[in-house]
Amino acid sequence: MAQPTLDAFQVIADPGRRQMLLLLSKNSLTINNLAENFDMSRPAVSKHIKILQTAGFISITDIGRERYCTLKPDGFNEVQDWISYFDKFWSGKLKKLEMLLNQKAKK
Amino acid sequence: MSKTIKHTLFYSHAPEIVWEYLTKAELIEQWLMKSDFLPVVGHEFKFHTRPLPQFNFDGNVYCKVLEVVPQKKLIYSWKGGPRPGDINMDSIVKWILIPKDNGTELQLEHSGLIEHAGIFQAMNEGWLKNIKKIDELINTALHGTTHP
Repeated sequence: MAQPTLDAFQVIADPGRRQMLLLLSKNSLTINNLAENFDMSRPAVSKHIKILQTAGFISITDIGRERYCTLKPDGFNEVQDWISYFDKFWSGKLKKLEMLLNQKAKK
Repeated sequence: MSKTIKHTLFYSHAPEIVWEYLTKAELIEQWLMKSDFLPVVGHEFKFHTRPLPQFNFDGNVYCKVLEVVPQKKLIYSWKGGPRPGDINMDSIVKWILIPKDNGTELQLEHSGLIEHAGIFQAMNEGWLKNIKKIDELINTALHGTTHP
């Protein structure tokens, strides 16, 4: 089944996926362990895991017979970029304001 | 990861002058963006900036004045999204002016830029620790020292 490509914000818009990320922020878990925490079908859990993996929020590592889900920073780097964009936006604007005020003072 | 943007600047001008630049549309346009701003609580106004498709942002910023304390404080909402009517950024811009001996300290706080910011905080704190744990698990598996 084809998975839609979601951006970081759409990925965390789903409460189930947020809950999965929260659990994984405490510990890496096998897919089975993770699924035990949710009252949803196994295919539904797998679909969310696939979305998290595609978006770069988690990686899946095979260790022995188990598949471990571990957080990965790629997914939330996008969010950092969004914050940085506005941070730079404001520092640029505030410098411009300073220039304007200084010009005004000279007049 | 900080979820609130904060800037503190000092301008060698009295608060009433800085306030004018924050609240008069023709002055706002000179340093920020063109808008139909009015310093009246409940007034709705718009800004337009560069679209950022990678962040699902079409460049339209929809604002509403939330609080006005002349020469001291100004708060407005700052919303946007991928297209008109579809809002995924629901944030708040707060300006505080503090009079100083020879000028004004201006504080800007832009908060709420990301919904569910708490989850990013938790992930940011948790991922490195968990990466190390998984490395240990892999090493254990590779070197055959299995625990019963």
